[in-house]
Amino acid sequence: MSSTYAELESRVLDLLARGDLSEQDFENCALEIYRFQKERNQPYDNYCRHIGAQVDLKSWKEIPAVPQAAFKQFPLRTFPENETVKTFQTSGTTGEGFGSHHFCSVRLYDESILRGWDFFKLPVLPQIILTPSTAQAPHSSLSHMMGTLKQRAANARQHFCVEDTGGLQIEKIRTLIRESITPLLVMGTALSFLHLFEKGETPALPAGSFALETGGYKGSGREMDKAALYSLFTRHLGLAPENVINEYGMTELTSQFYTHGLGNPHQGTPWLRTLVINPETGMEVVVGETGVLRIFDLANVGSVIAIQTRDLAVRLEQGFELIGRDPAALPRGCSRAADEMLTRTTIPQ
Amino acid sequence: MNTQEIAKALAAAAKQFPLLGEIHEQDLLDVVKWELGHEGVLDDFQPYAGHWTMATGPAAILHIISGNTPHAGLQSLMRGLLLKSRNFCKIPSAGLPEIGQFRDALPEELQSHVEISTDLPAQWIEQCGAIIVFGDDDTVDHFRWLARENHHFIAHGHKISFGIIFDDTAYESIPHAARDASLYDQQGCLSPHVFYVDESTGLNAHKYASLLAFEMEKFNQGNPRAQIGAQEAAEITGVRADYEFRSANSGDVDIWKSATGTDWTVIFDKDPTFSASCLNRVIFVKPLAKNFEESVAAARSHLSTIALWPSTPANARRVRGTGASRICRIGRMQEPRFTWHQDGGQNLAPLVRWIDWEE
Repeated sequence: MSSTYAELESRVLDLLARGDLSEQDFENCALEIYRFQKERNQPYDNYCRHIGAQVDLKSWKEIPAVPQAAFKQFPLRTFPENETVKTFQTSGTTGEGFGSHHFCSVRLYDESILRGWDFFKLPVLPQIILTPSTAQAPHSSLSHMMGTLKQRAANARQHFCVEDTGGLQIEKIRTLIRESITPLLVMGTALSFLHLFEKGETPALPAGSFALETGGYKGSGREMDKAALYSLFTRHLGLAPENVINEYGMTELTSQFYTHGLGNPHQGTPWLRTLVINPETGMEVVVGETGVLRIFDLANVGSVIAIQTRDLAVRLEQGFELIGRDPAALPRGCSRAADEMLTRTTIPQ
Repeated sequence: MNTQEIAKALAAAAKQFPLLGEIHEQDLLDVVKWELGHEGVLDDFQPYAGHWTMATGPAAILHIISGNTPHAGLQSLMRGLLLKSRNFCKIPSAGLPEIGQFRDALPEELQSHVEISTDLPAQWIEQCGAIIVFGDDDTVDHFRWLARENHHFIAHGHKISFGIIFDDTAYESIPHAARDASLYDQQGCLSPHVFYVDESTGLNAHKYASLLAFEMEKFNQGNPRAQIGAQEAAEITGVRADYEFRSANSGDVDIWKSATGTDWTVIFDKDPTFSASCLNRVIFVKPLAKNFEESVAAARSHLSTIALWPSTPANARRVRGTGASRICRIGRMQEPRFTWHQDGGQNLAPLVRWIDWEE
């Protein structure tokens, strides 16, 4: 019999608090969580059996990863449905519905956000948030993350600046910036920043300020090179690229990766690991090569520890350089590919 | 050269390109006759409703040719030559040797009517009277933006196609289906995304899928797929993983794939709702629904070809209301006749200008 959820939660919380877990700590914990999930998460166990994965593995690298789309089709939880206290939903695709990540407790979720923030020494400043609040978007993991980060806002000063109808409160944002005598942290999706920049003049942020941008341009039909986006941060907010932080996360995970500026790798907290996989061979690429990103998150105790993304990344000695999902690299003929038709993505609410 | 001489030269050149299928001089003259009323109407005045008329093509036509469908580019060039236009062929930066090879196979006089470039010389836009674009929506939008008001602008944008097996007791269609799904690595607008199997006739869609997998492998051994980039491979492995997860949890889905790499993939899915492939030889097999038109409704606005087995008049009538502009036999999806109405329209008539003469 494997551990209980409570035991594993407690064990991971301890590791998060320590922050300096060794490779062996990660290995032992990851394999224990895998055994637990295989026993308690029926769809995941079926998949493991289908691909011939054993209960006892030699390395965390062998843990079968679940494709993100599985969260749209199956309830991937290690606890009874009636114990669910929180469900975050992914962006949806017409016909397929939303992906759902269920939680029987958000203790690990919140601790991972806060410990990760501390681990990377991210700025503790008054916060202006360009995403809906948790009240406005109770199923958005991003809104939940922003709300949790109030605990890392200087003097707990945090302002959500989105109307119930979804639009940005432009005047409120400008006033908050104009009247601030201390540096600020402005956080939002890349798309929300674009909307802000398109609304005309925004006062430059006080010296020492930062911005945190996350996510892409899903549902907008827009895309923008990162360097071009960051030049807009300079032009509109007076921020050097070094003062712009990028968060890479997803609803299917509990923890986050961060980088800052241009050309720097994404790095995860000690309770995260990644593999960059050659999609043709299924094997890990060597350092410097490109492949698809597979993520292992110890904090994902209640669902599945290993997630297979479709995002491309370059494997680095430390961390990875995120390329993301590049539509320009998809087939360019006149046959209409799956990604471009029949689908309409939406921003999660 | 008059139209007959041009048609003769084009047919001779086309013989060297099996991908064009059989094209005879008379086929080309017939297109002129059916679309413009008289096979000599591009050479001189012809009788027309009590007076005389003749047609002239644009002085120059700019063809924007997609890299993975040389067949469509060659047909467009041949039409431009039939219209006696100069033809500017903008080919992809990676090149498209078939276009140059075809020009070289023409007599000198026609060769001088063909210019080929991987760039877009500024004077081409200035000089052309028509722009014909093959490619994805971004490409079409780009050239629509470049086009002037006085340009004829014809876009052959994104399209999708599929096949239906109504009856095939010996599963004879399967090698043909594998060929259709594999040619041009599925990137042409005539490439199938799905084969629907009518189980009411005793056929079994799951069995069809498993046999199709065998034929996909066989075809791949003789005709390996082109190298693809990491993103395209990632899409294929992503789709495979999605369906493997579903397959592990439901008997409604099954998947077959090449033993190594991402060469080909066959996915059986009991849900008849149309699924678009991520291309590069990823093909779905589904049972044909009773409410068939409803299950493919999402594809309607972009539908090009429906391939049938057998391709009988009765079966063609069953699918003619789906929005497809071409119905053919499985095995012929990628090789439309020169005379076809591409995207449901005429090919020569929209490009000509008429000169009427009254005695």
